Amino acid sequence: MSDTTAGASAAPNADERLAYRGVFQRALVRPEIGAAIGAVAVWVFFWAVSVKFGQASGAQSILDQAAAPLGIMAVAVALLMIGGEFDLSSGAATGALGILTILLVRDVAGEAAGAGFSLWVALPISLLAALGLGWWNGFLVNRTSLPSFIVTLGSFFVLKGAKLGFSKLIVDQIQVGKLDDLAIYAEENGVSDKGYGLLDKVFAGEWIRNEHVWDSRDWVYSIGTLAGLTLVVLAVYEFHFRRKDVMNPTGLIGVVVGIALGLAGVWQLHNTDGAGANTIGAALIGAGMLVGFIGWGVWRYAPHTQSGTTAGRPDGVTAPLIAGVICFVAAILVGTWMDAQNGEDLTEAFDLGGGTSLAIAIVVALVAMIWSAGTGGAAAGNVIGSAISAAAAAALGEARARVISTGIVAILATLGFLNLSTEQGARAIIFIALTGAAFVSLITAATRSRRHSDRAGSALLLLTSVALVVMAFFVQSESSAPKFRAEAFSFMLAFAAIMAVWAIANTRFEVRRFTDTSADTTARNMLLSAVLLIVVGMVARLGWVTTEEAEVGGSIVKYSVRILWFLGFTAVVSWVLARTRFGSWTFAVGGNKEAARQVGVPAARTKTQLFMVVSAAAWLVGVLLAFRLNTIQASTGDGEEFEYIIAAVVGGTALTGGYGSTIGAGIGALIMAMAVQGIPSARWNSDWRFVFVGGILLLAVVANNYIRTKAESAR
Amino acid sequence: MKKHFNWLAVLLAIVLVAAACGDDDSSSESADSNDSASTEEEAVEQTQGGDLTFHMITHSDDGPFWSVVKRGMEAACADVGVNCVWMPGNNDPGQMVSDIETAIGEGSNGIAASLPSPDQLIGPLQDAVAAGVPVYTLNSGLNDYTTIGATTHIGQSEDVAGQGAGLRFNDLGATKVLCAQQEQSNVGLTERCAGLEETFNGEVITQFVGLDADQTEQINGIKAVLDADPAIDGVLGVGPVITMSALAAAQDLGIDLTIGGFDMTPELLDAIEAGDVAFTVDQQQYLQGYLPVVLMYLEATNANQAGGGLPVLTGPGFVTPDNAAAVKELSAAGTR
Repeated sequence: MSDTTAGASAAPNADERLAYRGVFQRALVRPEIGAAIGAVAVWVFFWAVSVKFGQASGAQSILDQAAAPLGIMAVAVALLMIGGEFDLSSGAATGALGILTILLVRDVAGEAAGAGFSLWVALPISLLAALGLGWWNGFLVNRTSLPSFIVTLGSFFVLKGAKLGFSKLIVDQIQVGKLDDLAIYAEENGVSDKGYGLLDKVFAGEWIRNEHVWDSRDWVYSIGTLAGLTLVVLAVYEFHFRRKDVMNPTGLIGVVVGIALGLAGVWQLHNTDGAGANTIGAALIGAGMLVGFIGWGVWRYAPHTQSGTTAGRPDGVTAPLIAGVICFVAAILVGTWMDAQNGEDLTEAFDLGGGTSLAIAIVVALVAMIWSAGTGGAAAGNVIGSAISAAAAAALGEARARVISTGIVAILATLGFLNLSTEQGARAIIFIALTGAAFVSLITAATRSRRHSDRAGSALLLLTSVALVVMAFFVQSESSAPKFRAEAFSFMLAFAAIMAVWAIANTRFEVRRFTDTSADTTARNMLLSAVLLIVVGMVARLGWVTTEEAEVGGSIVKYSVRILWFLGFTAVVSWVLARTRFGSWTFAVGGNKEAARQVGVPAARTKTQLFMVVSAAAWLVGVLLAFRLNTIQASTGDGEEFEYIIAAVVGGTALTGGYGSTIGAGIGALIMAMAVQGIPSARWNSDWRFVFVGGILLLAVVANNYIRTKAESAR
Repeated sequence: MKKHFNWLAVLLAIVLVAAACGDDDSSSESADSNDSASTEEEAVEQTQGGDLTFHMITHSDDGPFWSVVKRGMEAACADVGVNCVWMPGNNDPGQMVSDIETAIGEGSNGIAASLPSPDQLIGPLQDAVAAGVPVYTLNSGLNDYTTIGATTHIGQSEDVAGQGAGLRFNDLGATKVLCAQQEQSNVGLTERCAGLEETFNGEVITQFVGLDADQTEQINGIKAVLDADPAIDGVLGVGPVITMSALAAAQDLGIDLTIGGFDMTPELLDAIEAGDVAFTVDQQQYLQGYLPVVLMYLEATNANQAGGGLPVLTGPGFVTPDNAAAVKELSAAGTR
């Protein structure tokens, strides 16, 4: 699906920088796209193997874990990294600024030391201290021209020592507490709580889902998400197809019929239960999509004119087609053959001794090494190789180091996987991986044959969509878990319907191969509305309970205001980066500081301000932590700075500066939160957790890199 | 040699103990001949231990935990009337090795040492034993004190502490307990969980849920485990911070859990007093400072060898809602 419009679009002698790029290509070169795909993949992965993912409590935990400290800091650190610098003191600073805030308000009760300021005074003071810290880091980096890695490492040690030293000096503990003493003291003595009560709502307020009952919640959820997804598809149409000069209103009849069918399907899903009724509902929705989308196209887009002209067989189609079919069959075999109920480790379930496990790992490693040695895996292997050891690459030569390190990673990963995963987990993972590979291969085949002829491409895509329907029914029959029988089933059917409609639309409507600003704007607005609709639907689903659920009870789900701080911070920073002069300056000084300075960018000032943004974020996180935990350990945040950097890199930000995305960093934080939450949720052996987390991170970076290289080379 | 004399003299002046005249004698003799028996006899004859000098060499960071050990040592030294030297290694085994060598060189009458990293410290302590200096291990070193030839070990067996926690959970009626760890591959923490598994009647799940440096992750990790397995009705945090994280997780989820912990912080004591946490295992580290001095004194003056080849356990003691208030006062006074 990647490069439908690639290649053929550019006129032979046109400037390649001005060549028109199709919607998929434009999406794929965005830095955060790899992270977004990775986040969905990791979520699906854990959704398949654990109970918690896909429930409100899971969403709450993931968001809370991602929000603070990790997410807010990752976004700020990504901004700084785009500006070409690192801040290794950012982790220790979160704890230090939290401790400073608490020390400033520590109270008067006689036993406690500290200044005893009101929070309204203490917060600005600690924010000023934070900005001072950022300014100092920036000043030193600019003045000494030393790498910020070294300068901020110094700040890190100073902060780490100061946290411990001052904690022990002032309160004679290796922790500083307790912020809520303010409220307790105020209540006991009848004095002001120094702003604690109000600020506690601002920094640690909670939305308790169980207390909010809303019976029509699921209607809002279903219609919101379905309408949102529909708008996404329509936006892609608007990007992809050429508009008609004169619209044809008869198409709108199809649209109306389609919407009616879709609503009927939703109604059917909601008011009945059981697999048969769900199938009817899904079929209604699918038919609605077909009629509605084609009707929409008839109304808006120019009819298809050019058809396949080249004779003979298209290139590069046979291999993915065969691979797709093999993976498809293998997925079904694995699903039938492996036990869905067995909760034992793979090593126990199949009685694998150490020798056998090692043998399997070595075979996998050999395959991976051969793949890495070939051209196919070179790009991915390169990343693994450089991640493992640049020194090894220097000693052994790039290619050999790449192959060897791929082998090492493959052995470790396989051994880890065999010991970590249960049989039911492995069944789900292998099944999903094979299914995914099957459909990626089939879609690749379809895309390649489209270059040859639109009809051939569409025929293959239709075939793929039929395969997806078969797979959906297989999943439904072979699984005992309700979420596979209902949710995965209907999702796969819906996706099959979208694919089929897309295949048909591509033979009927003309693809746009030139820039149309008006259409692009419309499409972008549609996307924005789609996101809003989906968010509204999801918020309704996650934030409220129905009367039934309230009666059943279940564990309490509390959303913290930290999540809003995280989303808000990400939005503001991303807007600043994309739309303001400061944002452009950030990219400029990160790409090439000297060049930026020479064209008039105040390089030193920009960098100092970036450091100040990071330490202001550390202040925010420190205050959020102080209000959440009331007591802050002297060790809080030490060593966490690397997690922020990793989240930023997973989100597509380059270590070299000048390239990246703050939204991506937020998504990177989500991926890491899911990895941390997923293992206990799936009840896997936590001893292997870091092998797994490392594997996820490596995969995310490799995928990110691969997609980007691919998309850029296709330009 | 000269340097040592000065140093020792200054030290003695500071603690204002004993006559200075006998001092040069005993330390030069023991340093020369390493014959502890003769020193010991002289000491007994002269001042009943007034010129005995004991060294306590630990990996202490002088944090709240070790300050209590130090106060125990100081109290014992004042009570029995000996000189004590507190040598905190600040988690640096290299520093501890050179401290041990210094103590041997000064003709110590007894060395009490902790063994955070046995491989580096066993050798120097064996040298001390070979030089005739009685050696005791404290706090950590349970598995190695016999190898060294130490008289005994004074500390808490992590295993036994975990077993004690298991019995508590039985009494409290828990049926399935999560043993939540704040570090991976820490032998002591693993032993605490293993001990719990030995005595607890129900099922134990041992999980690493996040470092103390990121309490958010700990809370969410514990919540994930509790969500995945609703049968869990108890959590043992093998450190004070993670125990508070378990409490926060339980409060977030709005469920009632039996929570036990290890060691103490003011917050944890408050939570126990309020009844939110059922108990914490206290290794009574004051004893780890106090007892070695008394035992070394008795070995030096009376040739007693305590322990009978087995360790002397200082814990587990338990802090529960019943005694939390009293412990809090003592803790504020710095002896618990």
